[in-house]
Amino acid sequence: MTTPISVSACARAATAEEAAYRIDYPLAYARSTRVVAFDETAAKTVRSVSDGPWGKAQFYTTSDSGEELITLDGERRPMAMEIEHSDSVIMVATNSIVSNAAAAVGVACRERSIMTAGLLLLDAGALGGDALSALRPYARILLVPADEEDLFELLKGIRA
Amino acid sequence: MGKLFRRYWQPVLHTDELPEDGCPPVRVKILSERLIAVRTPEGEYGLMDEFCAHRGVSMFFGRVENGGIRCPYHGWKYNADGQAIEVPSELNNSEFCKNVKLRSYPLVKVGDLLWAYLGEPKMQPPLPTWEFATVPSGQTFTSKRLQESNWLQALEGGIDSSHVTWLHGGGPTGAGLEADPLFAGAKGNQYNKGDVKPSFEVVENEGGLLIGARRNAEEDHYYWRVTPWVLPNFTLVPPRGDHPVHGHFWVPIDDENCWAWSFDYHPTRDLKEAEVAAMKAGAGVHSKNIPGTYRPEANKDNDYLINRDKQKTGELFSGVEGIAIQDSSLQESMGPTVDRTKERLVATDAGIIKARQKLRRAVEALRDHGTEPMGNVPEHQNIRSVAIVLPADQPFVEGIGDGFEARAGVRQTTV
Repeated sequence: MTTPISVSACARAATAEEAAYRIDYPLAYARSTRVVAFDETAAKTVRSVSDGPWGKAQFYTTSDSGEELITLDGERRPMAMEIEHSDSVIMVATNSIVSNAAAAVGVACRERSIMTAGLLLLDAGALGGDALSALRPYARILLVPADEEDLFELLKGIRA
Repeated sequence: MGKLFRRYWQPVLHTDELPEDGCPPVRVKILSERLIAVRTPEGEYGLMDEFCAHRGVSMFFGRVENGGIRCPYHGWKYNADGQAIEVPSELNNSEFCKNVKLRSYPLVKVGDLLWAYLGEPKMQPPLPTWEFATVPSGQTFTSKRLQESNWLQALEGGIDSSHVTWLHGGGPTGAGLEADPLFAGAKGNQYNKGDVKPSFEVVENEGGLLIGARRNAEEDHYYWRVTPWVLPNFTLVPPRGDHPVHGHFWVPIDDENCWAWSFDYHPTRDLKEAEVAAMKAGAGVHSKNIPGTYRPEANKDNDYLINRDKQKTGELFSGVEGIAIQDSSLQESMGPTVDRTKERLVATDAGIIKARQKLRRAVEALRDHGTEPMGNVPEHQNIRSVAIVLPADQPFVEGIGDGFEARAGVRQTTV
């Protein structure tokens, strides 16, 4: 099949001049994001980043079992209900990660087809296999090592 | 960002663009500067301001002579360093010459390429040591093509592994990976097909990042494809079987165009005739260019020759032939510089987010503290991409070990 070449072909459409005609409208916050810290060090990072200019992002720590998410104000809520209407969950941890909690949240996300990302903060030393094993099966993408700015940039990038 | 780029050697020409001593000069545009490259009859390479210091005519029309190049307008002559050595109209010729010098940059041959350094002379880093450029000549092949987008759009395609299943996909009878002579027959292709939803791990590395895409393999094992990115603009593609390793340099011409340098090399054997023939024909990461130019035959003027029938049947998922053009067609379609405030990134774009962050940090560190950027020293350049099967609970960096190191005479780690 031959391809007809019209005046709106790529050669014109992809110029800087034509780019000026692209419809300009504000982007809505696209992500209903949950950010979960799985240990105390991770919680400090999450707490620090939570002050950012976020739309629908919500920030938590977890109970040891992961069955509850704990808001930064200390309110305990059932994990399954908190993530039910989210479309991405960011899992933040260090080598001190509580594996059971990560597994509980990870499985819940998988069952609901919720996108997950993992950030392993490793200021305290080299990557431990346990931390990796705890997050790897559940994180669609894992940043190793990550830091506070990574979390900020990721949330900004996905318009959380 | 321009100042950052000026801390690196960048490929600017194939050696066959200046094929012999005393050959015609070649125009070079890089980092928004218009330059002229010369090879004097004595074999010296020079890279200097394209325009004569007298009246600003292009030295492309100059005559290459012993000791340099002479402007055809009034006969001003410059050596390979851009220093005026003859100004025929001046009585006190030598004294006047001393004060006339075209801006010039070092141009050196490493492998089959000519590399330029456009930064401060005192900050010049060691010569490039990339393996594709330093293996014996018969083991490597490099092509280049014009990409009509800014370099970062192109680079981000190079580290965005999640597009591969889509954009480069093809049906069972189509031009998918198994149909490309530079990819076919590798066991890794089976893992690719067996798990079309890879997960990713982005790992810090001394020269940049390692971006690992993992797929399920045999029980309790993952098949890893690890793409290194070295600042600012070098990427490698993970190998397949005994096929050559491939990769790219994305070199800014200006804000809206770049050169996509694409290479294939094998660390331990010569490339086969059939492989080189396929590369020259535009297979793998290479492109079929308009003869005598570096512009692809499928370009934005002809909508990249998109074939809607093949797109509809799935023979070619994108409808566009060839991996290189599949990439460039979409990256150019975004416009010369995409408006990133309009993006809707997803979590799997974390590699891109991380790369932007590292570039920004490098620019700020150089600007604010004069910190030398990573990637311009041999320790960061002696790197390989890897494809490997590892136990599920193992950090891939640990499992691959020295497989990331470019070592002469040692085969690449590949599946």
